[in-house]
Amino acid sequence: MRKLLHAILLGLLGAGIVHIIVLLLVPEFSERDAWSRLAMASDLYKMTRLDAEAGGAPVVKSVDPLFYAAACRFDLTDGMVRIKAPGNVPFWSVSVYDRSGHNVYSFNDHSATAGLLDSVVLTPAQMIEVRKDLPEELQGAIFVEAPIDEGMFVIRAFVPDDSWKPTVSRFLNQGSCELQDF
Amino acid sequence: MLKNALLTLLSLAIAIGGGGGSVWYALKTQDGAGAIRIGQWTAFPDIGTPAADPYSKARVAREGVLALGRAEGLSFIAERDSGGEQLMRQCAYKIDGGFPTARFWTLYAADQSLGVVQTGRPRLAALQSYQVLRQPDNSVIISVGSRPAPGNWLLTEGAGRMYFVLTFYDTPIASSIGLSDVTLPQILRVGCNA
Repeated sequence: MRKLLHAILLGLLGAGIVHIIVLLLVPEFSERDAWSRLAMASDLYKMTRLDAEAGGAPVVKSVDPLFYAAACRFDLTDGMVRIKAPGNVPFWSVSVYDRSGHNVYSFNDHSATAGLLDSVVLTPAQMIEVRKDLPEELQGAIFVEAPIDEGMFVIRAFVPDDSWKPTVSRFLNQGSCELQDF
Repeated sequence: MLKNALLTLLSLAIAIGGGGGSVWYALKTQDGAGAIRIGQWTAFPDIGTPAADPYSKARVAREGVLALGRAEGLSFIAERDSGGEQLMRQCAYKIDGGFPTARFWTLYAADQSLGVVQTGRPRLAALQSYQVLRQPDNSVIISVGSRPAPGNWLLTEGAGRMYFVLTFYDTPIASSIGLSDVTLPQILRVGCNA
């Protein structure tokens, strides 16, 4: 009887240890995280629509139904990446995520010059290089310093009603995600 | 000898089964570490940030969530009405009260996976603040149900569990200081189609 009790107690102690180990390993081994889902849908430096509007099931869940969204994966070891989208929409916001889906930085249209989306994501080391001689065309851009290698960003745009759908769709479809030479 | 082996097996079964099961259970429940509750509404302000707790991190990885950033907004989820009952798609509700400061907010009825409920109609089961009618004191009354209602109407249909997702965009409450004295509307059950 005492042995049984001993075994059960030991089991419970083990359960605690297993609980912690499994919890910490889930992010490492998940194949269902946002990066993996995006990787299955498209290549690096390619804008991918996240909402169902573009056809097919949504790539990443929990996007507000009144929003359209597009995402792009990038690798800062290749160089800095420039995000642009033309035109004005009622509201847009951009989030930069690291490889495991943590939000590193976010901003919205109130932060941008004239509400136009033009942004550069780069590492602190690249930032130092760029600061030395800022190119003319990057004067108005929002610089996002992110201490990451691989990452992704998501542009979200608000669709107040059906009449905005074509405009917002165009905004995202014409958005670009390019490796910026410097 | 055999008894010892059986006892060892029992210990291992409890350890692995209990450990794995408890993680699965902890990630499945909406509540959990890092949650902020205001009335019936729950938010995870830290989810998706590097400062999040291990449970939020595991949930983010498992569900492929790309959480809203601080400059974007903050989402609240309700799974029960003010009486403590689970929200059901066959029931009618009234969402009533004031909303905190934000550029705008959206409200939608969601299914288990937190996607918008499919009603099979052109009208989306979602509302946003630019289209709602307000009371003289700036509060909002929203009728939720399958029958059209005067004022603000949020369409839902079908049967089963339902969640409300209320998201504030470009809002000061997304910073942790702003959350201290926020009040959110209450959810009252009006009636159910049995």
